[in-house]
Amino acid sequence: MPSHVAPRSASAEFWRGVSDELPLQLGVVPFGLVFGVLGMASGLSPVQTILLSSILFGGASQVVFAQLWAAGVPPLVVGGSVGIVNLRHVLYSASMAAYLRHLPLGWRVALAYLLTDEAYAVSIKRFQDGPKSPHQHFHLLGSGMTLWVAWQLSTIAGVIAGTTIPDAWSLSFAIPLTFIALVAPRIRLRADLMACLVAAALSLLCQPLPWKSWIIIAAFGGIAAGWLTHHFSKKPLTTGEK
Amino acid sequence: MMIWLVMILTGLFTFCTRFALLNGWVSRALPGWLVDALGFVPIAVLTAIIVPAVLLDPVTEEIILTGNARLVAAIIATLIALFARNVLATISSGLGALWVMQWWL
Repeated sequence: MPSHVAPRSASAEFWRGVSDELPLQLGVVPFGLVFGVLGMASGLSPVQTILLSSILFGGASQVVFAQLWAAGVPPLVVGGSVGIVNLRHVLYSASMAAYLRHLPLGWRVALAYLLTDEAYAVSIKRFQDGPKSPHQHFHLLGSGMTLWVAWQLSTIAGVIAGTTIPDAWSLSFAIPLTFIALVAPRIRLRADLMACLVAAALSLLCQPLPWKSWIIIAAFGGIAAGWLTHHFSKKPLTTGEK
Repeated sequence: MMIWLVMILTGLFTFCTRFALLNGWVSRALPGWLVDALGFVPIAVLTAIIVPAVLLDPVTEEIILTGNARLVAAIIATLIALFARNVLATISSGLGALWVMQWWL
């Protein structure tokens, strides 16, 4: 039966979300494992490492949290750095709003909590490409819960394995490698390249500054450089928001 | 105790970034300049984490350009990321390259 005739049921949407999300776990699970290992190596307790994965539920921000906390950075700077890493979620929230605003509060709270990069990526596609269905928010529930379970389990596995993996494996290097996998394909316009180069330069130049504040400075500098290049190059807008 | 407070507060802030527009705390359309600026957040933030992790000596925190196995591994991983566009292939090629250089060269 063609799907545009009868809207998919709630459970069909949910399982579609699950199966759309599953392939992405190939990248998520190794990252979760590495975070588990890194959290322990940074001096967090096993419980703190594991709960960070459900309290923050954002890979890059958890890495920043663990590394800054281990370095004895003042809590306010830790919070500011984690905050800027997670600012991008405002964009996801904005583009999801049209599809989720009508839902009851409990649904919106649950789906907002599950709104991560990977769940957003597959569910916004489903919302935009249709077919429209009164149950379509179950797709995000399915993709979000899949990611949540995979992230928690891989973090726990990493915490357990953390004490047994020898340092010689340089497993913590998987973190910059994961970020390279995320950043490199995103660099398409001159403005993207400027954001990248300025952030790179500032992250090195500002190393001597106290409290590892280079993360915040390099991030804001990169954003500003990208925005200014974009603004003055009169290229068409990159994002499809609004 | 402090660490739990920071964990919970940053967690709440992160939740708010995901919830803000679903709850109408912010008017429906964000200003265009802000949307453009937020679009650069991932590139800027992640680059700022990548570069020192690749270039700085973990102990002395000096920039190492020659004989830096992590730099070579990162370049290989970047090429794989650009051409294969696959997270797992990027991580495994980079780690594989690092291991080969550390253990056999």
